[in-house]
Amino acid sequence: MKKKKVLVIDDERGFTKMVKLNLEASGDYEVKIQNNSLDALQTAIEFQPDVILLDVIMPDLEGPDVVYQIKNNEVLKNTPVIFITANITREEVEAQEGYIGGHAFLAKPGSIDELIACIEKQIKSHP
Amino acid sequence: MKSQFGKKLKVLLVENNLVDRKVIIKMLSTSPYGHFDPKFASSLVEAFELLPKHKFDVVLLDLNVDDSKGLETLKKFHRRFPHLPVVVNTGSYQDDLGLKAITKGAQDYLIKGMYKSYSLVKSLYYAVERKRVEEELKNAYNKLQQTQIQLIQAEKMNVIGGLASGVAHEVKNPLATILYGVEYLENSLKTSDEKIVLTLDSIQEAAKSANNIIKGLLDFASLTNLKKTPENINTLIDQAIHLTRPQCERVSVHLEKNLQNDLPLIKIDRNRIQQVIVDLIVNAIYAMNNGGRLMIRTYGKKFSDQDVGWIDRRGRSFGQGDDVVVVDFEDTGPGIKDEYLIKIFDPFFTTRRAAGGIGLGLSIARTIMNSHGGIISLHNKTGGGARARLIFKANKKEPV
Repeated sequence: MKKKKVLVIDDERGFTKMVKLNLEASGDYEVKIQNNSLDALQTAIEFQPDVILLDVIMPDLEGPDVVYQIKNNEVLKNTPVIFITANITREEVEAQEGYIGGHAFLAKPGSIDELIACIEKQIKSHP
Repeated sequence: MKSQFGKKLKVLLVENNLVDRKVIIKMLSTSPYGHFDPKFASSLVEAFELLPKHKFDVVLLDLNVDDSKGLETLKKFHRRFPHLPVVVNTGSYQDDLGLKAITKGAQDYLIKGMYKSYSLVKSLYYAVERKRVEEELKNAYNKLQQTQIQLIQAEKMNVIGGLASGVAHEVKNPLATILYGVEYLENSLKTSDEKIVLTLDSIQEAAKSANNIIKGLLDFASLTNLKKTPENINTLIDQAIHLTRPQCERVSVHLEKNLQNDLPLIKIDRNRIQQVIVDLIVNAIYAMNNGGRLMIRTYGKKFSDQDVGWIDRRGRSFGQGDDVVVVDFEDTGPGIKDEYLIKIFDPFFTTRRAAGGIGLGLSIARTIMNSHGGIISLHNKTGGGARARLIFKANKKEPV
């Protein structure tokens, strides 16, 4: 089975490495990391991910700015984006049924099971 | 409250001299100026027995009675019944004694044989009225003190909130790394070595416990418990104007508004945003303490990076081209010095330290706006004066 491609854009290097390790260990995913949000768009164009995991607060270019670039790119505009952030709590995400302002959200810290469930849900709803 | 003058007064006459007592009774009963219902006591003990049984309006107190002499009589009386108006009626005249009696709580000081019926009646009625006003003033002062304590407490909570929010973000990121790391090790090692399993479980428990502490801190500071409901920002502005109008009038600040009618609703915690709006108005008033004009404007637009500087755009929940609601506060004050602009949102930065400012208003305002995914910015206008700007994400396109 073809592996699903996940792009992780987050300036927290340790966190992105752990996401990559865990997702690739499952055997279902190919994960690419981008710790510099200024290069996020270019990496996404080259990698063509099935889903993007995106931090909200990053130096230089923040999450909403990256989403703006992605949604205005012909190749990437339909790629699902999941915000993964320490700015909100799991309870807040649950209260909003996983969506805030139309975007899928995951709270940090969380579990790998939650992460995989959210990725699968987003990929299915964006065939 | 209705004035007491003209009402029948219940008077307790504390007087052990029978002649003096008769003179006073005669004055009170024959006076055309007032109506009295007098009762008598010869000593303080007797007076203290009578007082709880009757609802006296005023006490006419001789300082030298059977069981007490001099100012001590008044002090003892005032300690037991601090809310009852007392007029001192004494045979010994000393200027300083009269003044001391007033400082010890008496409403007036009469010298026996030196007043006539009208003066006595007037003194008793005035004492009742003066005491009533004094009590009202005391109550208002106490209320003000309580409000001040509550405000200080609220500000302290907001500082904790600001710190908690910053700490939470910085600590939750490494915690996320630790927890994902532990999960990876658990899944990939699949070991039955008890010591390794115990170690990994302990790391996981410790990280979760740290996360719970952070969560508790945030809950304590109420930042994660914002009660966000769809609101019309114009309503909040009208209420804030109403609240701050007396302050505006005091320093001749003319307040104008230009509020767009069909604004989209925004999802906010109305109390917290109300706090931000009031703070910005009050800041503008302080900047124009010799009078001026404050214009408050609301409008909807598509967000553009040109609307605010890059540093103000951090943490917002909307991007270029998204529908937003903007509130501008433009004053005609002296503007903000350039060296202040970069630190104006820092906690404890204030230009009004001498006037009691503690420098938390704007810091808290920014924390509140950040917790709404909104923007607050402050700039000098090219024509003079300062402009504060709030930007909120417009949730729906429903007209107000």
